[in-house]
Amino acid sequence: MHDDEVITAVREQRDKVHSHTPVNQIISRGRTVRARRRIPAAASGLAVVAAAAVVLGAGLSGAFGSAPASGTSTIRTTAFTLTSHANGTATLTINSRVLLEPSTLQADLQQDGIPAMVTTGSFCSSDPIPAGFPRVVSQAPSPTTLTVTINPAAMPAGTELSVGNFQNSATSSDTAIELINTNSRTCSSALPTPPPSGEGVMFMGRGSGMGEPAGS
Amino acid sequence: MRYTGVRTQQLDFTEFYRESKNACLFAVLVSVGDRDVAQDLVDEAFARAWASWRSVGRHPAPAAWVVRTALNASVSRWRKRRREVPLPEPGTVADQAATHGATDSSLDPRIMVALTRLPARQRQVVTVRLLLDLDTARTAEVLGISPSAVKAHLARAIAALRSDLIPETQQEKPSCTTTK
Repeated sequence: MHDDEVITAVREQRDKVHSHTPVNQIISRGRTVRARRRIPAAASGLAVVAAAAVVLGAGLSGAFGSAPASGTSTIRTTAFTLTSHANGTATLTINSRVLLEPSTLQADLQQDGIPAMVTTGSFCSSDPIPAGFPRVVSQAPSPTTLTVTINPAAMPAGTELSVGNFQNSATSSDTAIELINTNSRTCSSALPTPPPSGEGVMFMGRGSGMGEPAGS
Repeated sequence: MRYTGVRTQQLDFTEFYRESKNACLFAVLVSVGDRDVAQDLVDEAFARAWASWRSVGRHPAPAAWVVRTALNASVSRWRKRRREVPLPEPGTVADQAATHGATDSSLDPRIMVALTRLPARQRQVVTVRLLLDLDTARTAEVLGISPSAVKAHLARAIAALRSDLIPETQQEKPSCTTTK
């Protein structure tokens, strides 16, 4: 038996073994690994924010003489913070420095009564785009803000919010939000184009030049 | 667009995964001996590779990085459990592989056992040089040894494999019906 025959025999064995794990599963797991690495840094930041919130809350409570609003709850992850208010609206803040886990945000939005399709690296749209987006989603004045307020009561029947997150780098991302018809939803890897009517798409991006809302 | 880089990275990684996943799985299987454990370790190592793809993608041999990461995780797992990782019994690897689809079922237990019997350094050289198809210089770089050491370990490994396989080849003659 020559060396070449031994080598061939070994390589033949190699070629008989097949891994069947889909690449999407690997990438999804990789995102979790990457997000987990950032938790210690993010956690220290959150601790500071939480401490400041306690101080601010105490100060405001004293200044205005009112108790904290009842019925307010907050879901806080490293990638986003979702606060549901007593009036039925919800405030969503996305941390552009952490990869978004779409299924988590989608489930949390739906738990707050906000039907949504959350994606990363792609965006879902519909044709036609339903009216009423400015009544559903409002953004803070700053063009670089990553915070929006959502009013699910203003969403027409048969619609949902499409939230598409595009990671630009390890530390920044852009997010687009659009009101879409659930029944005519189509998804693609391209960023959405603001419609001529000026209503429908809002971008949340830090320094991306996309911060101006397309809605009127 | 600004996200094009991320999409390119993902396509790049997907291509790398498609090309190297089987070789990496086999390389780890040879060392750990258990098909399910090898699959878990390789999947996790690829996930870590994607999590750090910016740097791993520039590694001189990303597949070797994956195998090394998987085997390091195997050692960590062993340390946590504080128990010996059993060397697979003859035929065990092939038998386990048979449960993972018809494509794995024809593994030759003699070759698998012969590979697991190799000393660690020889097995590393076989893994990187033969299973991952890196040349001698790159193998030396990945393993941190000299090219001449790679050649020496590979020659010894092939000699050991040959001596394990030759008796069986002789038994392939029709007159031989028993194996030991």
